[in-house]
Amino acid sequence: MSETATSRLAIGARLEEVRRACDFVVEAAERAGLDERAIYHCQMAVDEALTNVIEHGYGFRDEGNTIELTCQATADRFVITIEDSSPAFNPLTHEAPDPTEPLDSREPGGWGIYFIRKLMDDVRYERIGHRNRLTLVKRIPAPALAGSPQGAESGLFPTRELDAHTAVITPAGRLDSNNSPQLERTLEAQLGSGKTWLFVDMADVEYIASSGLKVLVAAWRRARDQHGDVILSGLQPRLVEIFEMVGFDMLFHVYPDLDSALAARPVKR
Amino acid sequence: MVMEINVSEMRRVQLFEVIGRVDSTNATELGTAMDRAVDDGKSNLVLDLSGVEYMSSAGLREMVRILKRVKRVGGDLRIANPSERVREVLELAGLDSVFEIYPTQVEAVGSF
Repeated sequence: MSETATSRLAIGARLEEVRRACDFVVEAAERAGLDERAIYHCQMAVDEALTNVIEHGYGFRDEGNTIELTCQATADRFVITIEDSSPAFNPLTHEAPDPTEPLDSREPGGWGIYFIRKLMDDVRYERIGHRNRLTLVKRIPAPALAGSPQGAESGLFPTRELDAHTAVITPAGRLDSNNSPQLERTLEAQLGSGKTWLFVDMADVEYIASSGLKVLVAAWRRARDQHGDVILSGLQPRLVEIFEMVGFDMLFHVYPDLDSALAARPVKR
Repeated sequence: MVMEINVSEMRRVQLFEVIGRVDSTNATELGTAMDRAVDDGKSNLVLDLSGVEYMSSAGLREMVRILKRVKRVGGDLRIANPSERVREVLELAGLDSVFEIYPTQVEAVGSF
């Protein structure tokens, strides 16, 4: 992660080549330790930049026209450069479309550049001789402090206390080996503070891996031991499938949404 | 397979399930598939994006173009289950307030 190896790729100026460039950037970004979201951002920024060069810079003329890319990772940033020999064009001087514009008056074009600027932390343009160079920078977040579990983000998922025994927890994103520890810490913190009825609203969870399933079962066991329960709601169809596959639909009480889960909550005296 | 579009005709809705990657090489293919439905007089469309792992602005452009077209004839294009990443991109472009977005295909289809 701290070395500054540069990888290079040249592609023909054709839309069909853009995907290869995207793969190249994704691989370099993975090696640099970027998370899935940052990798997606880099991929999209590069896609948009290359598409602009091919469509507008070279005007779809690909005879002998090439575009050169480099990716370089330093300790705290991932830097992509894109160079081409099309006429000078500084995308940063173009007025960005307005995302608050209503449907009827929306600009059909210009969104590529808009996304590049939104998705990357820094974008620079230079004209060097007869070449355009666009530099895209994504910051690499500092690794978690030593001693924090798993080295992943040490945050907790949002939690809402309903009463002394009950809390609603709303995890989000992918519950995989990266994020399951965060769910584990969130559930443990609640169980540790006497919350034995845990409503886990899964509406924003798009994927659950075995590590996430394990965390849910462990919390369920602990809650059960203390005469409580872990109650789930809002499973997306893909999650329902996973739950059925591993038989968790028999283990957990699962409700279509949080409101119906809470409505079914036993009355406390 | 880079992108696959499955079209199903339902009672009041034409459903498009898109799988794979939507970018500048194939976005017009998606637009054309929806154009065909509108040409046939079907203007209530649902676009299920749950299988879309990646979409560039070229895909968004086609979606907006079709939305404008169906709105003119009293229809709508509604979106089901975009991934977190695609949703983020929709939000960046302000399209989350332009499109009706539903968490599931069933809800999107049922909304018509």
